[in-house]
Amino acid sequence: MIELKQVSFTYQGQEHDGLRDIDLTIADGECVLLCGRSGCGKTTITRLVNGLIPQFYQGELQGRVLVDGQEISSLPMYQIAAKVGSVFQNPRTQFFNVDTDSEIAFGIENEARPPWELAERVEQTTEDLHIQSLRGRNIFELSGGEKQKIAFASVYAMNPEIYLLDEPSSNLDMTSIQELREHLRLIKGQGKTILIAEHRLYYLMDIADRIVYLDRGEIKGIFTPEELRRLSQAQREQMGLRATDLMDVLPPPGHAPVRGSVLSLNDVSLRYKRRTILHGIGLSAGRGEVIGVVGHSGAGKTTFSRALCGLHKDCDGQFQWDGRPMERRDRLKQSYMVMQDVNYELFAESVEAECSFGIRNPDKVLVDATLKELGLAQCRERHPNTLSGGQKQRVAVAVSMICGKDLLVFDEPTSGLDFDSMAQVAALIRRLSDMGKVIFIVTHDFEFICRTCSRVLHFDEGEMPDDVPVAMEALPKLRELFSVSVSNGKER
Amino acid sequence: MNGGTSPRQRLWLDPRTKILLLLLCILSAMMALSLYYELGLVVLIGLFGACCGKWKYAWKGAAFYGLIVLLTFWIMDTMTGTWRTMFITFLGLFHKVYPCGMLSGIVISTTKVSEFLSAMNRVHAPKNLVIPLAVMLRYIPTIQEDWRFIKDAMRLRDVSPSLKGLLTHPGMTVECIYVPLMMAASKAADELSIASITRGIENPKPRTCLVQIRMGPADAAAILCFGAFFAAGLYGKGVFG
Repeated sequence: MIELKQVSFTYQGQEHDGLRDIDLTIADGECVLLCGRSGCGKTTITRLVNGLIPQFYQGELQGRVLVDGQEISSLPMYQIAAKVGSVFQNPRTQFFNVDTDSEIAFGIENEARPPWELAERVEQTTEDLHIQSLRGRNIFELSGGEKQKIAFASVYAMNPEIYLLDEPSSNLDMTSIQELREHLRLIKGQGKTILIAEHRLYYLMDIADRIVYLDRGEIKGIFTPEELRRLSQAQREQMGLRATDLMDVLPPPGHAPVRGSVLSLNDVSLRYKRRTILHGIGLSAGRGEVIGVVGHSGAGKTTFSRALCGLHKDCDGQFQWDGRPMERRDRLKQSYMVMQDVNYELFAESVEAECSFGIRNPDKVLVDATLKELGLAQCRERHPNTLSGGQKQRVAVAVSMICGKDLLVFDEPTSGLDFDSMAQVAALIRRLSDMGKVIFIVTHDFEFICRTCSRVLHFDEGEMPDDVPVAMEALPKLRELFSVSVSNGKER
Repeated sequence: MNGGTSPRQRLWLDPRTKILLLLLCILSAMMALSLYYELGLVVLIGLFGACCGKWKYAWKGAAFYGLIVLLTFWIMDTMTGTWRTMFITFLGLFHKVYPCGMLSGIVISTTKVSEFLSAMNRVHAPKNLVIPLAVMLRYIPTIQEDWRFIKDAMRLRDVSPSLKGLLTHPGMTVECIYVPLMMAASKAADELSIASITRGIENPKPRTCLVQIRMGPADAAAILCFGAFFAAGLYGKGVFG
């Protein structure tokens, strides 16, 4: 049993993410979903339960957090670890080992179980979670979804009574999310207690027993999945929550008109390390078009977007812009990629300096206008690293506008975003589209695609079998591409 | 970092042996008498690397060193005065450091973090020394991944991530590399620590390991080779002098 009694917490030197007067009791075997806007404190609750607060994150803590009647703050981390297993958001940095076998065994090795038991538990875990194909692999070669499975397996091998998951689906594609759901069903069937903080709600609606809604550090409502589903779309969006059922998410009714073709690809093939990744790709796109790019991990989405931007060398075929051939150098000059982790592309010490970084004679007026346009004017003096994720993304977009780039590629722009931020990114993309930019978006986010894209490209097995308009008439095909089906949340 | 080959096909050594080899290598390089001796050491390390499955790395490392040796001979033959002194001083240091660096590369890329942890446990090394070292060992492949993203980001901003770029715009190029790298590093370090303490790395009980580590004949052979080479340098002044 987990008990939070009159808990308040403020992080040192930070106003948001704190908690106020939280009273919450979670019974053994219960599955509780914590939801709310970014910064509402849902992650903070998970940190209180796994002991990271107060042992790793400092701040002012009041009230008591008890697990099975024992005060968490009085236990050393390794004793908490035996009771409470944690899976985090970013699959890249949850690993301590480089090979999967050692990683699965990492927790139980720390518990100093005898070697025969280690081998047995690793085998058992592999079997229960169906991850035979991931054994003995180098973790750096796995996809995000596969990494997340290994992270889950490592915790599963320790067999804790309580599982904590902090936005586990943020970096996963649709298939991996379904597999994650199966794993959650499995541990729920074993009678484990589950606590999940998450933005994506739909895949948890048939697993969660209670849904706790947080707003600015306070519990503002506790729902059953049934009650949450009954809220109207307007009410739910008012609360900053994502869809509870993807079957309710619909594309716009008709086609958006396309203004003449400007970009065209003809018989483009891409290779990576002498292996053909994609071949025979042909398409044309008009100004203002927003094109979604989907496919399984390893289908070539990343290589395709890098080739579009002129970052990938090994490719054949013609790229044309306005009827003129576009060599790799031209593409590099004309395009920009907003990366999933924007931190890699921010170099300067202030937002303003970032916007004129590397430009010989920066146009001050243009910089000012762009910052104002993107709502960044008031943080022009701030260091990019002190901004929120959404603001950083907008700084990157500002850079692309100032450099006069016409072709933009967004890589997973909505991973880990709540409803409000997702709607903001969608509005930003619409504005870029109005300016006549050609935009490609690599994403797994069905809600986001329906809000922003005019068509979707699907890559599979080295080809591009589908080029589907995002419109009501293509709904069955879209649902198929995103594995949205009735079973996906509706079954009881 | 482990390449495609299966771990069974190549030489596997106990992490303790590897540390001992590193020590022997440092000692040999320190008291090296001549360029031929150092070249011999690098070739030995290359052979060792090839046995560990890192033949590409070993070959490149040895070939590069060969070039440096040729350069050294050329400088000693042709140059005079200040330039000669300057180059000889620099290269002298380079020749001492190179073998150790090359061997460290092989050791780091072939040692699993879990093996390292349990080996350190066997020799009763203190945990507050071992854990940061293990985090470092784990962090190195992460830098490689980060570097790929950073290179792309630089190209998009028209900054060339190459030696030429570094020479023509040193300030800007360095900034473009270290700012994102530092940001990524500080975040990764936090998340790695969290991932390890929430799985009980601080447990005081002696850690066990899925892969049983023990010293075998291969370890003895490797130590013998490096030991003999060191001894040859120590007593065989006549041969190498």
